[in-house]
Amino acid sequence: MARFSWGLLAALALAAPSLARAHDHAHMAPMGAATPLPGASLYNLEALWTDADGTSGPLASLRGTIAVAAMAYTTCPDMCPAIVADMFWIERRLPPELAGKVRFVFISIDSVKDTPERLKAYAADHGMDPQIWTLLHGDDDAVRETAAALGVRYRADGQGGFDHSAIITLLDPDGTIAFQQNGARASSAEFLEKLEALAARTP
Amino acid sequence: MARVRLARLFATGVVGALSVAPSLAEGGDVIVPAGRYTPFERVRAVAGGPPVTVSISVPAFRLDVAPVTNGAFLAFVSVHPEWRRSRVKALFAERGYLVRWTDDLTLADAPARGEPVTSVSWFAARAYCRALGKRLPSTQEWEYALADQGRAQDEVRRISLEWYARPNGLRPGPVGQKLANGFGLSDMVGLVWEWTLDFDSFAITAESRDPNGKDSAQFCGGAGAGVSDATDYPAFMRYSLRASLKANYVADSVGFRCAGEP
Repeated sequence: MARFSWGLLAALALAAPSLARAHDHAHMAPMGAATPLPGASLYNLEALWTDADGTSGPLASLRGTIAVAAMAYTTCPDMCPAIVADMFWIERRLPPELAGKVRFVFISIDSVKDTPERLKAYAADHGMDPQIWTLLHGDDDAVRETAAALGVRYRADGQGGFDHSAIITLLDPDGTIAFQQNGARASSAEFLEKLEALAARTP
Repeated sequence: MARVRLARLFATGVVGALSVAPSLAEGGDVIVPAGRYTPFERVRAVAGGPPVTVSISVPAFRLDVAPVTNGAFLAFVSVHPEWRRSRVKALFAERGYLVRWTDDLTLADAPARGEPVTSVSWFAARAYCRALGKRLPSTQEWEYALADQGRAQDEVRRISLEWYARPNGLRPGPVGQKLANGFGLSDMVGLVWEWTLDFDSFAITAESRDPNGKDSAQFCGGAGAGVSDATDYPAFMRYSLRASLKANYVADSVGFRCAGEP
């Protein structure tokens, strides 16, 4: 099965719904796209996000693969690098059979400074492979509702940054939270275990 | 007692509060004028610096004069079926959503129509406000509205403490029975706690930045930036309550009102 970029998924989900149906029929769309989302799925959120390539879509555009997601911002001095380091830690340790089957999602809290261009530069600077990483820019409403749904607490710190909780979320292909790691760690071994277990029961 | 409060309102020149009363049932709002107030929570003026008590300025905004009632919320779910009890998604509201209602479109009884809607999640409150072209008030706006430019704050604390002493589970009673505050706002305390847009902004302490991150969402602890008035027990209660919520939580003591641009 072809792996869809965020861009193609978004196009399928939004711009060309009939195309999406055609792809469903041809079994090319992400798995389960034709079935209703579970009630607890994060992908029930409707706000639009824009990726580093400038393509917009709801979080549901990520549907179809396991995702490792965290909210952070690129100018963050101390905690976000630790969060991203944990995500890299997980990415590096994925078993070979999961390579390319897990998407890493950086959801920006900073609706002003973290433009798609800024996110693209950040991804390049940090060696985030666009085939694996999706970086998302949204407006204040998108950030607020997504943070609320993920249980991420945040607020502007008055110095151009944010105080926020360090939470890395494991989402199943339908967007239901399978596990959350609270706090950046030296090792995300437990997260990795949960991810492998999820992959094992995901068709 | 009512006479005293009435006299105070006239004395402070806020006679407009009285003319607001008839619109309560219709869910009217008022413009809360811009002003300054001292937030309960202290802030750090510079990164790593000591927490300080500062007064902040709040731009003018609109605020509903009373909490949203069951009657108004019923009208909302009538035309937005996705927010009915049987249809709401688990992401948006946990079990117990609108638990005081008899079913999707039936209130417990006639008086319930004029009582604040409770057992609504943040998502549901937000959706209601959006459907009316409004939004939830920020915590700063809500607290500024309660602070009422310093008018009758002893009364606010007294009503708060009496209210906290009521047993849980009692129905809140109808909105608009007490005299509005200086801004023309009714029932800011005494009937229900209220959702704010950024209810989840105020539970972050230094703990969050600890790379070894323990998951402790404490607010009142000394590790935080502290508070401006440690004797303000009702404020502790409001901030602690908000800090304990999650966006899909429902509680029979939590309702909301909407805000908007002036």
